[in-house]
Amino acid sequence: MASSNLIIGLEIGTWKICVVVGESRPDGAIKILGVGQTPSRGVRKGEIVDFETAMKCVHEAVVDAEQKSDVMIRSIYVAVAGSHLQSFNNRGSVMLPEDRDEIDEQDVEDVKINAREVSIPAQNAFLHSIIQHYHVDGQNGVLNPVGMLGQKLEADFHIIHGVRTRIQNTIRCVKELPLDVEDVVFGALASAQVVLTQHQKDLGSLVIDIGGGTTDYILYADGAVKQSGCLAIGGDHITNDISMGLRIPMARAEKLKIEEGNCVLGNCLPGETILLKDDSGFAGKEIERETLNTIINLRLRETFELLKRRLEEESFINYLGAGIFITGGCSLLNGIDNLAEEIFEMPAHVAHAQTASGLTSAVENPQFSTAIGLIKYAQAVQTDRPRRRFGGVLGKFFSGMR
Amino acid sequence: MIQLRRNYSLSEREEESVPIKIVSVGGAGLSVLDRIVLDGLERADVVAINTDVQSLASSVAPHKVQLGRTATRGLGTGGDPELGYQAAVESAEEIREALAVARMIFICAGLGGGTGSGAAPYVAQLAREAGSLVIAFATLPFGFEGKRRGAQAQEALGRLNEIANAVVCFENDQMGDIVAPKAGIHQAFATADITISQSVRSIVNLIQRPGLIRIGFDDLLAALRSRNGRCLFGFGESDSDNRAHDALAQALKNPLMDRGRMLADATRVLVQVAGGPSMTLSEVEILMQELGRHVNEETQILFGTAVDGRMGNRLSVTIISSFAADKDSVPQEIQPAQSSVPAMPPVWAQPQDASPEIDVEPEATPIETSQPAETMPIEEPAPVATAWPQPSMPHKPEPRLITPQSNPVPMKEGKPSPEKNVQAKQEVLQFEPVTRGRFEKSEPTIVEGEDLDVPTYLRKKIKVK
Repeated sequence: MASSNLIIGLEIGTWKICVVVGESRPDGAIKILGVGQTPSRGVRKGEIVDFETAMKCVHEAVVDAEQKSDVMIRSIYVAVAGSHLQSFNNRGSVMLPEDRDEIDEQDVEDVKINAREVSIPAQNAFLHSIIQHYHVDGQNGVLNPVGMLGQKLEADFHIIHGVRTRIQNTIRCVKELPLDVEDVVFGALASAQVVLTQHQKDLGSLVIDIGGGTTDYILYADGAVKQSGCLAIGGDHITNDISMGLRIPMARAEKLKIEEGNCVLGNCLPGETILLKDDSGFAGKEIERETLNTIINLRLRETFELLKRRLEEESFINYLGAGIFITGGCSLLNGIDNLAEEIFEMPAHVAHAQTASGLTSAVENPQFSTAIGLIKYAQAVQTDRPRRRFGGVLGKFFSGMR
Repeated sequence: MIQLRRNYSLSEREEESVPIKIVSVGGAGLSVLDRIVLDGLERADVVAINTDVQSLASSVAPHKVQLGRTATRGLGTGGDPELGYQAAVESAEEIREALAVARMIFICAGLGGGTGSGAAPYVAQLAREAGSLVIAFATLPFGFEGKRRGAQAQEALGRLNEIANAVVCFENDQMGDIVAPKAGIHQAFATADITISQSVRSIVNLIQRPGLIRIGFDDLLAALRSRNGRCLFGFGESDSDNRAHDALAQALKNPLMDRGRMLADATRVLVQVAGGPSMTLSEVEILMQELGRHVNEETQILFGTAVDGRMGNRLSVTIISSFAADKDSVPQEIQPAQSSVPAMPPVWAQPQDASPEIDVEPEATPIETSQPAETMPIEEPAPVATAWPQPSMPHKPEPRLITPQSNPVPMKEGKPSPEKNVQAKQEVLQFEPVTRGRFEKSEPTIVEGEDLDVPTYLRKKIKVK
């Protein structure tokens, strides 16, 4: 393979664009060689709104990563987000020909295509079809049917799709640089690869990736993806709320959120105030701590409740054994796990990439979960199905679009 | 006052606002002024006056005047009031220009240094000559700043007292008390600045806010007028369920209020209660009754109330009073006050001992003469006078007096308040489309029929401030 064992993940976020250079070891371990990042411009709610500017930012981030890791970047895995992404579960089924009863790879491929035989909006394209379980002649819970005997092969897939042009915009942004896009991956799916262990996936867990512009979520039960999606609410909204509520500029609101914000109410003294300093360091405006926390609390509470209502449309949320894992830049807010625990009524943890070594500062920062997750995802895909890579990603991507 | 009621209509009153200027003199004044500007002040212009160019340059005040281009050459005065005075005289023309058109001038100065002590009385004089009403907010230095500064400050204060219509005097020592002993000196100074800024702003609001029972400049003077007196000042604001109580408690907590204990010694207390359209009569009643417990039976209460749509759910109380620091000056204190409130009905309710001194009335008269044209609109709230149930209540002790005062308010405005409530809600609705802030131009996130880009607290109508 052209990329040998070097894998590069790119996340075009609302607040920052980051490029993580990772090395995939033969034993499956991942080592992070370098991280390049730039503040993001031209991106709102996880989607590119100013193509030129965003492209420049991506370029800067790539150059930064090249310098830091001393690697020439040619091809890249890209994470996408945005409220246009949707998901559903569907079952596909194929009958084997009369003269054959051993299931082969072609049948598995067919069943996947069959599972996609559902109507999605015309402008949408499939992003992922993630296998949940196979059923062979009514036998449930088959993990790998290839080589098994049977007449009827069924498969449950979790399908993620989104608006084709918007996904293309992200790809174009990278291709213009010019870099090759190896694959496009849903952000939360990537994050979950490094935030969760296989055990946690089996037990059942929910990953909430709260970034600057979007909140992506993905729910695992029985080791398979059951629900996923994206809410276009993120840290940006909290900052905006603070800025409007306290009448201070966005930049200062952002700083205030990071330095002083807390999602939990009632843990500050009555009337406790924060003194805002202006640029020259002089005392400026005074802000009541409880007011700040109330604004943050209300916004996150609403976001979590919205998320909970979405997840409760199906029953999987009731069977989460491992609880909730919050990652992404916004998970650094104080008390966010407590708030999630309160609303979802189950244990919640702030999590960062677990299964990678190297640059510790990057690995332990939840902001990079997605980009590091891309590397893990790529590693898994490459070892599982190396042959799929030959067609080039875009081949796969567009074929996926029917 | 009463005659004037003929020639003004309600709509006019809404628009009129008194041109107010807030002028700082010297370095300490400048830091107070910066604080006032940063805290946000509508309806008043600010002018910074100083000898030190450097501090002027770093000030946020939009209008600046440098004193003594040749006398100090852009440097400070080095704590010499004489130099400060000379510098001010040299720049008299510029000061006059800066003070022009204002009908009311607040002068903030820290006394004890050179510019503040030397130039502030002169600036006050120029302002008076221009026909403005002048209230000086003076800070006396901390005790640790030395006796020399203290003496200079006292001298300057004496002169200000002669010139200005009223002087509100803040003792830094007093305000320092509320700062934790371990807090840095910066914090002690900042606390003083904050307190002064708060009082200036609340006084500006008090005058500018259209009132049901309006507080005029004369009331203010009456409350502040006292020789060598200490100013009592309290401001509280609350939007809780029990906002009347909370606001008053907060006002009494003010460092210049000493938990309301000193109110007992005051002969005249000015109280303004302001709130949004939802303010009810009973809230005002509760508040005034509670306040009644802190004041002497014989104290005269100048009561005002105002409804301001911008206040939303908040209710604010401003208490201003003064009392003589030394006993022998008490009579002096009473005289001017009376003269400046000649038309105020509560005169009849005043303690009898006050009446004999009415004749001795020298310095308040200039106020009257300079006023008639300018202050009329301020005093307009003449409805107070008419609404006052004068004949029905002859000599009653204060606490009870208050209730009848507030009665006329609801009679006129109390009933419409529910309607106003509805109006306020409509305003919020109009507001919504424009409050998406950063997401103004981006695709709206509409989930379950709600535009999630609008801050949650706005959509849930939760008051955060």
